[in-house]
Amino acid sequence: MTNKVQPQTDSNLILAARGLGRRYDGFMALGSFNLELRAGELVALVGPNGAGKTTFLTLAAGLLEPSSGTIAIAGELAGTIPARRALSYLPDTPVFYEDLSLGEHLAYVAALHGVADEGARADQLLERLGLGEWEDSLPSEFSHGMRQKASIALALVRPFSALLADEPFDGLDPPSRDVLFELLAEARQGGAAVVVSTHRPDVIGAASRCVGIRDGRLAYDGPPEAEAIGEFFER
Amino acid sequence: MQTAALGEMRSARRRRFVERLDVMEVLYRVYVAAIFGAIALAVIGGWVEEAPATARAIGDMRDHGPAVLGLAVALAVLMGLRSGARGGPLAIEAAEVQYVLLAPIDRGVALRPAALRQLRIAVLAGTVLGAVVGNFVFRRLPGSPVEWIACLALFGALLPLCVLSAALLASGRRLEPIVATTIGAGLLAWTLADLLFGSTTSPATLVGEVATLPLRGGGAVALAGLGLAIALVLAWSGLRAVGHVALEAARRRAALTAELRFSASVQDLRTVVLLRRQLASERPRRRPWIRLRTAVSPRHPVWRRGWQSFLRWPLARLTRVAAIGVAAGAVTAAAWNGISLLFVLPGALLMVAALDLVEPLAQEVDHPTRRELLPVPVASLIQRHLVPSFAAMASVLLIGTLTALAFGASATAAGVGAVMLFPTALVLACCAAFSATNDPYAYVLTPQLGYAQSAAPIVIAVAAAGIPALVAREAMRHGGSAISAAAGTEVVMLAVGIAMAWWIGKRLAGEVAVAS
Repeated sequence: MTNKVQPQTDSNLILAARGLGRRYDGFMALGSFNLELRAGELVALVGPNGAGKTTFLTLAAGLLEPSSGTIAIAGELAGTIPARRALSYLPDTPVFYEDLSLGEHLAYVAALHGVADEGARADQLLERLGLGEWEDSLPSEFSHGMRQKASIALALVRPFSALLADEPFDGLDPPSRDVLFELLAEARQGGAAVVVSTHRPDVIGAASRCVGIRDGRLAYDGPPEAEAIGEFFER
Repeated sequence: MQTAALGEMRSARRRRFVERLDVMEVLYRVYVAAIFGAIALAVIGGWVEEAPATARAIGDMRDHGPAVLGLAVALAVLMGLRSGARGGPLAIEAAEVQYVLLAPIDRGVALRPAALRQLRIAVLAGTVLGAVVGNFVFRRLPGSPVEWIACLALFGALLPLCVLSAALLASGRRLEPIVATTIGAGLLAWTLADLLFGSTTSPATLVGEVATLPLRGGGAVALAGLGLAIALVLAWSGLRAVGHVALEAARRRAALTAELRFSASVQDLRTVVLLRRQLASERPRRRPWIRLRTAVSPRHPVWRRGWQSFLRWPLARLTRVAAIGVAAGAVTAAAWNGISLLFVLPGALLMVAALDLVEPLAQEVDHPTRRELLPVPVASLIQRHLVPSFAAMASVLLIGTLTALAFGASATAAGVGAVMLFPTALVLACCAAFSATNDPYAYVLTPQLGYAQSAAPIVIAVAAAGIPALVAREAMRHGGSAISAAAGTEVVMLAVGIAMAWWIGKRLAGEVAVAS
């Protein structure tokens, strides 16, 4: 991996993947992937199972390192401190400290991102996600859906320019899904680029752009039109 | 601010952990550990001969001690480097990766406390162990007790320090496994050259100088000081590099380590073996070392299946099992030549190899439905699986016997090794099979029985490899025939092996996965 990225000329450009590739023991999970995301976009990332969606998201988050190419977040290489400051990653499987309450998690994550007083934001998120009464509870007391909602709150409690969410709607009840739609829309309106990996037609329909991956390659990039998406999945 | 938040939260978590500790339970554990420790020390003290070592033995130790100990250091560093190349030695919580290592803070600042804690614990344990060894050594060798205890305590501290620091450095520098292995093997070869040529040039030999300082004195002080400095520089470099650990390896290791700890806590040795292989990225080869010719109707499919499994072993596992054979042989030779306590080690070492060698059988046990759908009685199938494992185990014992010969064992000792080969191999294979077929949850309500079930195969393995050799040596010392004495003991071992093979088959035949 090179340590240099192209100088950023477009101030709205939040994420730029250029020739991005990742191999696992000879298997190509992602190859020559190019993508640019700008502020205010809500992108639905779609593709069959094993297409490379999670690989792309974890590369952007800096959890994986590319085998080839580069990926920059807000003009800095993924994984560097400025890129970590700009990007919030919501994993497909929620993870928690088993000895911290939800409220302590929120305070800790916010403080790690330099937010001095997260109280109001945290309270608002918990209320909207229906977790208001669970602030002092440990994660071991949560159901699957509650863990997912707690993970969403942790991803949103801190400032970010890019939000990458890996199948965030899984396990949510309909009211919580509506709240998440609202939260993603607010993030977008606030100037962030939002990428949501999903198989759900309603999420794809709500996006401003749809990116399809198949066999580790960019196979569709365009408007989230049902006909075009249908063709992409049928191919 | 971020760093302060990190420190505050860690302090709060530590406080909460301490608050939740049951003080009486902790005190009880310390009390039990102290009693067992004292008993163990008394037993070991009784076994260790306190007669002063011969002038020749002292001379050998003075001339070759640092390089021999250096070889142990180099081997341990090689293992540390390999672990580091796979993301070790830190096992970072998944939540720590998600929330701290993805936060905009220096990862070195975030990870150094955990690395320091791991180093501190290992160094403390090594120091205590070294001091205990020093307490026995000064009774046989010239030099003051204080010197021996201090030097061996220091060596005990430096050994884990070098291993963990090498691992931290390899993981921080993102060394490829092949590069880490090459560096470690290079150090091993350099130290071996020191041993062969009687020189003191390798960093590992210099660390070994610390342990033998009371024997060598004089100019060796400077060499030992250099060894100490090298270890400290290595530790400093490792701690500096810790922030560059690959998150991919850290996440993978976090998940596996959590499972490994749980499996170890319920004494599920089979799962521990499988998880350890995953941690070490030990996968079967896609192409076998030798492809067995396809037979239209093989007469011995289970035998063939066993060898197909062995022939797909990765090089690391082959090397490890062969190295265990070599180590068991070397330790037996040392035990034969006087240090009776060492007779405990070969069985424990060989049990580790045996757990790998019963893989074909263990695979059958891991898939009970498939096993029961075969038109073969389960007991017979399992006992047939033992045959290739037994044959491979005998090969490992042969490596051990040849090693003992190379280490100066007499022809009589080699004869004893030959007598032990097959019965001991059978018992060891059965012990591993017993362990691999144990149900860790069979005695959840009576954990003492569970502990006994887990410990039994290890104790039998230690007895099978140690007792025949010990009996033979004692017979020889008292003017009897060592080979006859070993043969007599091996008849008992053979009976034990056959009984275990029968019992394992019977036990599994009683477990039904498919309703009839």
